Amino acid sequence: MDIQPGKPVKTFRPRPSRGWFSLVIMAVILLAVGAAPALALGLASSSAALTLIIVVPVALAFLILAFWFPTMRYELDQGQITLRYGPVLTYRIPLSEIRTIRRRNLSLTIWSTLRFPGIALFKVPYADVGDVKMCATAALSNILLIETEKEKYGLTPADENKFVDAVRTHMEA
Amino acid sequence: MSPIYIMAVVTLAASVALWGGLIYFLTGRQKRYFWLLLLGLPLSAIANYLLKPQAIIAVGRAAQVQPGLGLAAPVWFLAFQVLLSPLVEEPVKVLPLLLGPARTMLASRTSALWVGFALGVSFGLGEAAVVAFGVAQSGAYDFLPWYAFTGFFNERVMTCFAHGVMTSALVVGMQRGGRFILYGFLGALGLHLFLNAPTVMYQIQWISATVYNFSLLVPFVVLAVVFERMRRAARDSKKDDDGKEVVYWQRQYTEEHN
Repeated sequence: MDIQPGKPVKTFRPRPSRGWFSLVIMAVILLAVGAAPALALGLASSSAALTLIIVVPVALAFLILAFWFPTMRYELDQGQITLRYGPVLTYRIPLSEIRTIRRRNLSLTIWSTLRFPGIALFKVPYADVGDVKMCATAALSNILLIETEKEKYGLTPADENKFVDAVRTHMEA
Repeated sequence: MSPIYIMAVVTLAASVALWGGLIYFLTGRQKRYFWLLLLGLPLSAIANYLLKPQAIIAVGRAAQVQPGLGLAAPVWFLAFQVLLSPLVEEPVKVLPLLLGPARTMLASRTSALWVGFALGVSFGLGEAAVVAFGVAQSGAYDFLPWYAFTGFFNERVMTCFAHGVMTSALVVGMQRGGRFILYGFLGALGLHLFLNAPTVMYQIQWISATVYNFSLLVPFVVLAVVFERMRRAARDSKKDDDGKEVVYWQRQYTEEHN
């Protein structure tokens, strides 16, 4: 448990998954598709070069996200829940704004966004509940959905009961 | 052996995995649609080697249009050739519904959507093989290694999806019956023409090759939007996860008890 002076913070880890592997696979696929024309035609080919220019940064982004996978965590303090993923994702949920906390399965849409087996990040559209701000190690199954007036957040704490009890205790305090 | 055949195998495997996976996960892990992926495999060859050439020859002879004119042919004949693909392919894609076991799967709009999608993907798989065969026959690209054909890979994988969407529109219309059959056919026809628009514009030299390559994305994005809307409209009314939702806390309930 992390303790900051005047602001005790409980940190909860997400459910284990191989989401990092999904991100690495995506990067490899992108690099393969992007590199193949360059290997075959050489960089003198403008279309091969353009493909590389587009694909390589995207593939690198996936690799960087995979590198940050172990940093996913959920922090609970007196006033809010903070969902974190590396330096790129920080969602703050004020406890006073929470309307419901429920666990459910979510329905796919064909829009991929950043949703792969074992990981879902940023805003993901779902067919049944709409857009959800995700910071989770699962995309569809057993998602803990926290709803406020304006937003929905999806997370997957490893010890869900302990997390929910801690949140309820803080809200009722 | 032409190197494109290797990429064709990779393309077919990737398409089956990707679009078969989409069917599996979006239908709630149902496997009953998978066998439909086999039914449409020969249909593209039938459409492209038998039906369409015969139609062009027949109409050309009737109108006394000389063969081999290319873009120099009369405008109405060019328009006919553009319309021919959707006019022939859309009905051909639903021919497997003549089979009883396939037809009995059209019990609801949702199942009709997925039957149509699977049949369309199947047609697309066969079409990828037809295109690969055509490229191999020309021999023009035999000097390239197999991994150079990523353009073929990208286009064919996405075209399988596109055929799935178009056939979904038609089959959902057929399932609803009445005037919706016509609406479904016209919808599929319109989507097909929209998908082919960049190719036509490139062939008549309205756009360059670079613009053509990037413009291919637009119809696919539109088709994805259309398919998602069709899917939402066709969804059964029951909740996705009956009895599986657990409500831990609800503010309104808590306030009433306080």
